[in-house]
Amino acid sequence: MNKTLLTGNEAGAWGGRLARADVIPAFPITPQTELIEAMAQWIADGEMDTEYVQMESEHSVMSAAIGAEASGARVFTATSSQGLLLMEEMMYIASGMRLPIVMVNVSRGLSSPITLWADQNDVLAQRDAGWLQYHCMNNQEVLDTVIQAYKIAENKKVLLPVIINMDGFVLSYTREPTQVPEQKEVDRFLPKYEPTHAVLDPEKPESMGIVVLGEYMRFREQHHLAAENAQKVTKDVEKEFAKRFGRKYSAVEWYGDRDADNVLVTTNSMSTSAIAAVGKNQAVMRIRMLRPFPVKEISKMLEGARNVGVVDRDVAPGEGGIIYPEIRSALFDSRKKPRICSYIAGLGGRPVSKQHFEHMFKKVTKPKDEWIY
Amino acid sequence: MTEIKTIKDIPEEDFLTGGHSACKGCPGTLGLKLALRVLGKNTIVVNASGCLTLLALYPHTPLRVPWIHNAIENAGATATGIYRAYKRKKRDVNILCYDGDGATYDIGLQSLSGACERMDKFVYICYNNEAYGNTGMQKSSASPYGAKTSTTPPGKENPIGKTSQRKDMEAIMAAHEGTYVATASLAFPVDYARKVQKAKEHDGPSFIDLQAPCPTGWAFDPSKTIEVARAAVMTGVWPLFEIENGKTTLNVKLGKLKPVEEYLNMQTRFKHLSKKETENIQESVNKKWEKLLKDSGE
Repeated sequence: MNKTLLTGNEAGAWGGRLARADVIPAFPITPQTELIEAMAQWIADGEMDTEYVQMESEHSVMSAAIGAEASGARVFTATSSQGLLLMEEMMYIASGMRLPIVMVNVSRGLSSPITLWADQNDVLAQRDAGWLQYHCMNNQEVLDTVIQAYKIAENKKVLLPVIINMDGFVLSYTREPTQVPEQKEVDRFLPKYEPTHAVLDPEKPESMGIVVLGEYMRFREQHHLAAENAQKVTKDVEKEFAKRFGRKYSAVEWYGDRDADNVLVTTNSMSTSAIAAVGKNQAVMRIRMLRPFPVKEISKMLEGARNVGVVDRDVAPGEGGIIYPEIRSALFDSRKKPRICSYIAGLGGRPVSKQHFEHMFKKVTKPKDEWIY
Repeated sequence: MTEIKTIKDIPEEDFLTGGHSACKGCPGTLGLKLALRVLGKNTIVVNASGCLTLLALYPHTPLRVPWIHNAIENAGATATGIYRAYKRKKRDVNILCYDGDGATYDIGLQSLSGACERMDKFVYICYNNEAYGNTGMQKSSASPYGAKTSTTPPGKENPIGKTSQRKDMEAIMAAHEGTYVATASLAFPVDYARKVQKAKEHDGPSFIDLQAPCPTGWAFDPSKTIEVARAAVMTGVWPLFEIENGKTTLNVKLGKLKPVEEYLNMQTRFKHLSKKETENIQESVNKKWEKLLKDSGE
């Protein structure tokens, strides 16, 4: 099939359509609206068969997603920013119940003051919600990752919900040539969801979301181990995906000279500008899988570098970049530690261009924390 | 199922077993037990955080039907999810939301309203003990005027307790076109069971407000739950009626209302009230009763 021009929103919608989601609870928020509108139009035109329901808030979206997934349905939804935060209470409940819901988040900075444009403070606020997180660089990756996400989430060793992240506007409203896989190919890759661990069925009554006393900690440990299992499961799924569809992805991706001394660590759409800026003795390391955190891959890849700059499109006031301390921590056991610094850039959609990355590559030879304007 | 006209028409199979952890004389469990007898095996229960969330305590459950506790404010939305999933499977199932008044009148109102507007099919029963019972009787918007609750305690500056009227939830629910609305009382089990059956068969959302006199919170002997419930109906404090397609029907007609003191004096919630305040409550009950008679064409 030839490539078509798709926005990030359309690519996300195609992912949910090709995965044959049974139930799609939705609520509009800029810059995600086009995604749920595209689906509504497909349903109206008879091109997509699903149970689509517009809810009255994002909190209710996640609540309905839980009800539907707990009834054995495959669920898809999408949100952004304030909407993701309104869902937060239910995010923990969804993952605690081990419900493999798949959701696209279209990253947008948080109010106040209001911004409509990209940064990752929204999705990183859900870092510890017990969901898996995959952060995408382009629209093709968004579409492909939605399909992969179901296969990872529904794996019996995982059974956890997944967020697929893309940047608002930069991807969500930008058209890129994107390959839409054939439905029958996706069907072969992704079989029907048939849960046995958590289903509300009068034929086999069980109680969900109930009170535990001393056993609470055991449940949390199981949750953690399941997320850890996703490291290997993700690798297997990416391998099978590459075999079937010819597109390769991995938890951490490297662009540039493998032995480069100077490395910038990025996530999401700004990675494309970073890659464009790579010169001699320079490289970009992009984190695609943020949860579970691929510590081994990161430490292995960065071990040979001399200078590392971690570019965060987010900030934890009073701490700094959110991903930066995670990278530092991943390097703690390395035999040969690089020098490392933090760059904060692009908050609220402030452009981060190739020139900005050239500047960072220049400065990283003498690593010093900096806000990039 | 035959129409429920007498107590003998109520099925006898129970889906809430004994040995659970609710208080003695708990009206919530009585109401749940009866509702499940009517709805039967093919039912999924959605519970919002409250007293009855403690029924299922890992690894035990007294429930013989599927049960999901999601959070406190989202029973309506959870019901939507279950309903849509089963619709997709082309399989019929009864969905019972069984939730307290805090979860219904206050924090879950938006979610319930949304589900009614969407015309999702579910039976919503509010077991209404007129306060946040599980956390120690803080006021809710179902708490009546003059009630002493742990967050509206009477004192020197405020001798009344709760100074505002309870929310008219039935009017709010009736404003959702297509929703079947009723009040119910444990002292009138046949009327209650008939309403649950009607709700089950109604093609759309249903809302039943079941008054749940709470021995622990209202401080009366646990053997008196039904007596207190009866007094609420006979004094006109908790009239039994239903609203269908905008038409109100009074289910228990009373020639003359008993004085409200007969109900108020059975509990400690109103012990602090002056004679004048009791008269105010009587006046308010009379006024609402007159309106109900008018609305129902009695």
